[in-house]
Amino acid sequence: MNNAIEVSQLRKEFKSYSSRTGLKGAFRDLLTRNYKIVPAVNDINFTVKQGEMVAYIGENGAGKSTTIKMLTGILEPTSGKLRVNGMNPHREREKFTRTIGVVFGQRSQLWWDIAVQESFRLLKKVYKVSDEQYNEHMGHVIKTLDIGPLLDKPVRKLSLGQRMRCELAAALIHNPPLLFLDEPTIGLDVLVKLKIREFLKEINEKYNTTILLTTHDLGDIEALCNRVVMLDEGKIVYDGELDALKNNWAEEKEIHFQFMNHVNLSELNSLPLQFSTDWEYDEKNQTYIANIKGEDENISQLISAVVSHFKIKDVKIHETSIEEIVRNIYEKGMN
Amino acid sequence: MFYVTMFFQYMSQYMKTRLEYRADLVVEMISDLLNQTVNLVFILVVFGHTQFLSGWSRDEIIFIYGFFLIPFALFSSFFNIWDFNERYIVKGEMDRILTRPIHSLFQVILERMELESLFGVVTGLVIVMYAGTSLNLSINWYDPFLFILFAIGGALAYAAIFIAIASIGFWSDAKTSIMPMMYNIGNYGRYPVDIYNKVIRFLLTWVLPFAFVGVYPAAYFLGKKEWYAFSFATPLIGIIFFMLAILIWNKGVRKYRGAGN
Repeated sequence: MNNAIEVSQLRKEFKSYSSRTGLKGAFRDLLTRNYKIVPAVNDINFTVKQGEMVAYIGENGAGKSTTIKMLTGILEPTSGKLRVNGMNPHREREKFTRTIGVVFGQRSQLWWDIAVQESFRLLKKVYKVSDEQYNEHMGHVIKTLDIGPLLDKPVRKLSLGQRMRCELAAALIHNPPLLFLDEPTIGLDVLVKLKIREFLKEINEKYNTTILLTTHDLGDIEALCNRVVMLDEGKIVYDGELDALKNNWAEEKEIHFQFMNHVNLSELNSLPLQFSTDWEYDEKNQTYIANIKGEDENISQLISAVVSHFKIKDVKIHETSIEEIVRNIYEKGMN
Repeated sequence: MFYVTMFFQYMSQYMKTRLEYRADLVVEMISDLLNQTVNLVFILVVFGHTQFLSGWSRDEIIFIYGFFLIPFALFSSFFNIWDFNERYIVKGEMDRILTRPIHSLFQVILERMELESLFGVVTGLVIVMYAGTSLNLSINWYDPFLFILFAIGGALAYAAIFIAIASIGFWSDAKTSIMPMMYNIGNYGRYPVDIYNKVIRFLLTWVLPFAFVGVYPAAYFLGKKEWYAFSFATPLIGIIFFMLAILIWNKGVRKYRGAGN
């Protein structure tokens, strides 16, 4: 099987200027500016096979967007080797961009003032897609994403969810073998998220499309990706299965309780349970937090034990977010 | 060929959008027309009393001015990139441009074209014909072709300067006031260059070739033999500077840092 993306020792540096203090410093800055060379992406290596769906995650500023921009040919790497779809993205940009689709959640790919279908029509010409290809492929895409009724509206009149579905359709006009999605579900409501996930799964199965996505939403990754590449400060800190990542680093689950009556921490600690539980009291929210490890069953055991002993007002099960996993890894180190 | 098709595709798209906002279109055309009239009145008032300006008659100056309007109109219709830095680099629109399979400068030009400015061609032609008739200029069969060639050459020279300046944005996204300044300097090209001192003349010929937009090509039609060499160099200068500008642009694209970094 071919590799869609091959990255070795990829590096991108930015100059970061720092200013001196005071008026005197300002004048000195005029003559010579202090700058540091900051590696946004620091010698990373990975390969993605054709047909894989990979989540590329990390905190803000970890270098995700910079990597994506190098992979899509927007930025030129400072050093390192980069082959995407067998091409050098920046050097062979015009030929290369015919083989990829790009969706940036924060930025529209469509023309703001013109109707969605006009954008599609123009993109169809840009990517030299024939009428038959377009009708066959896009007819299906439009139906699945349910954007038929939106086609004659200008993009600026669409809601975020409507726009994102149109963006996704626009990125697929030329049916590219490789799709880059940067925060495709940011700010969307649950139903739209589900629809987009379903759709991505479907095109991956149908066309063996490789998908690389960045997201802050663990749900996206769980629904779509087997493989996770995690970045921190420009370096890859994890590359492997999502389950392994979650088992190792998201093992602790937090369950938040609020009680009707006053309860002591010692009473909670002496609850009869077969596993160890750490209790904390959050005074600000008057909430008791139980940190438990291990199997999911433990959650229901804990809850039933608590409910049978105390009157509760509220229970929340807290999902570990990607940020927390990253923080865990960062604090405790890999291994 | 692909680029020609794309040009017409974008153009029809542009027309569609424009026609949707009919009121805007009319207002813009009227203000454009007003602008041209004010400029013309200015010329008439200034040169109304002086019949000669270092060897150029009033009508000759009006002719140069009229000629200048034509490449300038071509330039402003297709190279409307004065806000490139803000629109494409600071706001990051360049990211989108760079993920499409068309040369990035060509895309920017297509997206930013403003065909209403072509109206200036008509104004220019009217002025040129008016001045030409009062000067009793004779027209050879090949003159219209040279006229078109020189106008395109001038537009390319003008565009080259602005493309080069827009490219600065790739290296530094700080706001600069170079663009408005260039528009001012560009206006010097519409007066005979020999009224300026030597340094400025050199500057307007070889560094910022604005003189090739107005006075040099117009000199040919006015029969000023001493300027013929410059007149005929117009298309060449246009192409050379334009190619240089594209080289600078391409180099700049490699330095593009993206927005939000």
